[in-house]
Amino acid sequence: MKEVPSITFRFLQEGKKMNEDYAIKDTVKDSVKDSEKEDIIDALKNDGENPVNSKPFSFYFNLSIKYFILSAIAITLFFPFILAFFGTFKSNAEITLWPPKILPSKWLWENWLITWKTDLGRGGTFPRWLFNTAFLSIIIATLQVVFCSLAGYAFARLRFRGKEIIFTFMISSMMLPGVVTLVPKYVMMAKLKLINTYWSLILPGAVEAFGIFLLTQYFKSIPHELEEACMIDGASYFRIYRTVVLPLSRPALLTLYILKFQAMWNNFLDPLLYLNRVNMWTLTVALMTFQQQYKAQWNLTLVGAMFNAIPVLVIFFFFSRYYIEGVSYSGLKT
Amino acid sequence: MTEEDTGGHKAPPVSSMKMVSKTVSNEQMKQNNENKILTKNRSLSQMKKREELAAYLFLSPYLISALVFTIGLLAFAFYISLNRWNIFTLPKFAGFTNYIKTFKSPDFLRSLLNVFWYSLVVVSFQTAIAILLAVILNKPVPGSSLFRTLFYAPSVTSSVVISMIFWWLYLKTGFLNLAIGKLLGVLHVAWKNIDWLNDPRGLFQLIAGLFGKKIPYSKWYFTGPSITWMAIMFQAIYTTSPTFMIMFLAALQNIPPSLYESASIDGASPWKQFTRITLPLLRPIIMMVVVLGTIGTLQLFDYVKIMTSGGPLGTTLVPVYLIYRETLGTEGPIRAGYGAAMAFILAAIIFIFTYLQRRFIERGTEHYF
Repeated sequence: MKEVPSITFRFLQEGKKMNEDYAIKDTVKDSVKDSEKEDIIDALKNDGENPVNSKPFSFYFNLSIKYFILSAIAITLFFPFILAFFGTFKSNAEITLWPPKILPSKWLWENWLITWKTDLGRGGTFPRWLFNTAFLSIIIATLQVVFCSLAGYAFARLRFRGKEIIFTFMISSMMLPGVVTLVPKYVMMAKLKLINTYWSLILPGAVEAFGIFLLTQYFKSIPHELEEACMIDGASYFRIYRTVVLPLSRPALLTLYILKFQAMWNNFLDPLLYLNRVNMWTLTVALMTFQQQYKAQWNLTLVGAMFNAIPVLVIFFFFSRYYIEGVSYSGLKT
Repeated sequence: MTEEDTGGHKAPPVSSMKMVSKTVSNEQMKQNNENKILTKNRSLSQMKKREELAAYLFLSPYLISALVFTIGLLAFAFYISLNRWNIFTLPKFAGFTNYIKTFKSPDFLRSLLNVFWYSLVVVSFQTAIAILLAVILNKPVPGSSLFRTLFYAPSVTSSVVISMIFWWLYLKTGFLNLAIGKLLGVLHVAWKNIDWLNDPRGLFQLIAGLFGKKIPYSKWYFTGPSITWMAIMFQAIYTTSPTFMIMFLAALQNIPPSLYESASIDGASPWKQFTRITLPLLRPIIMMVVVLGTIGTLQLFDYVKIMTSGGPLGTTLVPVYLIYRETLGTEGPIRAGYGAAMAFILAAIIFIFTYLQRRFIERGTEHYF
């Protein structure tokens, strides 16, 4: 019987394949450019003779149908957000009124200000929650990029005893369901008195198998020649890592940074477990508690949701290429 | 138990052989370079030691983290699961009683059934919709990358944001009831507004009701997923489909267009092209998406904690929520050992499921590779 390849193997294979695929894609891109050139040349030749016939009516018809379908899907996917955005300007009475209307009858801009000025006492203010969230996201994403790139460099370039074993262990640990470590991690944090400190999230989140795997695959795809030249000049490994490998892999580092920033920004379970003092909350925990305690205040809750969603959406729109590449490259979201 | 788990995922001999052959060629290249470097008056063994030392220094943050947060916590989890412990006093050794208790607990069994329903529905729908979206997006039109970004954007927001927005839409006076009412109004059917997040009626109960039969709530294993549970499934499918769409899109773009060209010359319809070319070539990615989806859905926590706390009538209880409840003692005393035992059982179930899925999906795909 043929042995079924394990997930581990599958991941390795995917990684290799993707690298090759990138190469294929590049050649395809080039060929597209060439065909475009031909089109342009054709168009120039045909200029003034019969430019209408070169693109038949059915072409434009099909194109408009395609745009219609694409826009319909995009609007459907965005619709809940649009409704919620308009909801933030409604009065508290209007927002749960039957039948619901899309636009508010009176635009209450002050809802956003009221939410911003939320104060639950003992340091539990909205700006503080925003700071906690941003601080943790930036610190964890930065540490991930530093530590994962160090380990990734070792896996991609250096030879050492136990490399295969450690790498296989790392890949297998990615398959471990996170729920298994939930209880002992909580007990450990409680015993070390790290509950309600930033450390409880930073220490376990500073380096992860996923990031190392992503960067290892990327480093392997970078050509060796430059590093070898540096080796001959007698540069240390750290120097090569810092001055050659890191600058060359900026896209991959950015991808990891954005993925980890977003993962921490959206993290709910860990802050819920470890940060339960009101001044240590992150936006996600604050939003949930706020909603469960003041069930009637739907307009303010939706403002809170917008504050939570807009930063990641803005980052996503600016860096969507890196983001999408990261997700499709690895096949893992968090 | 843990050994078994990791053992299932060791790379098979085939892959390690391939990897070895690749590293050998790399090593030969490095050897050649080292010969050049040797002119710098360093012996070969010194060089090797230096490289090894550097490697372990580079790896040290990960090694420490893995030792503490993976191996250490796994061992600790197993130790906890064998004890009765409220985490403040000394743990009391209890053997495997926590595991036995878990299987006798109606709450846990119920949560397993709930999460099975959830996983089955969400994984099948999100995979199908993701493929559909990817196929639609794959036809290159000017600006298709903008649409890709737009499709994907909702899924970068957090589960709390999604929960809040959908909670509001699911209200008895919310937009979902309005939309359904308007749609049915066209067909002249009256619609009674549903409180989506507080309706324990199960799917099979509703179907039986159509035939004039009744299934009591005490027979929870026959009621099927409740209306609330299905509402949460819908919101999960809504938000995760675009994520997996991205993976399918990447795979689709690697299918050579010449395959479709030759198929259409042979007169194959678009549907035939989809079932005979696209789907078979997507099979490895489908497997990955199904496995990842299963791992994710079986560990559902956020939506339940935020929106329902397991209610109404326990129809949205899930294992991770129970584990959270026992560990923090939010309802009753802290029972860390019990929670840890439940976590191990859930992990075992996840491994069995994903293993079976791999066997099932990969069967009959050999001839494509």
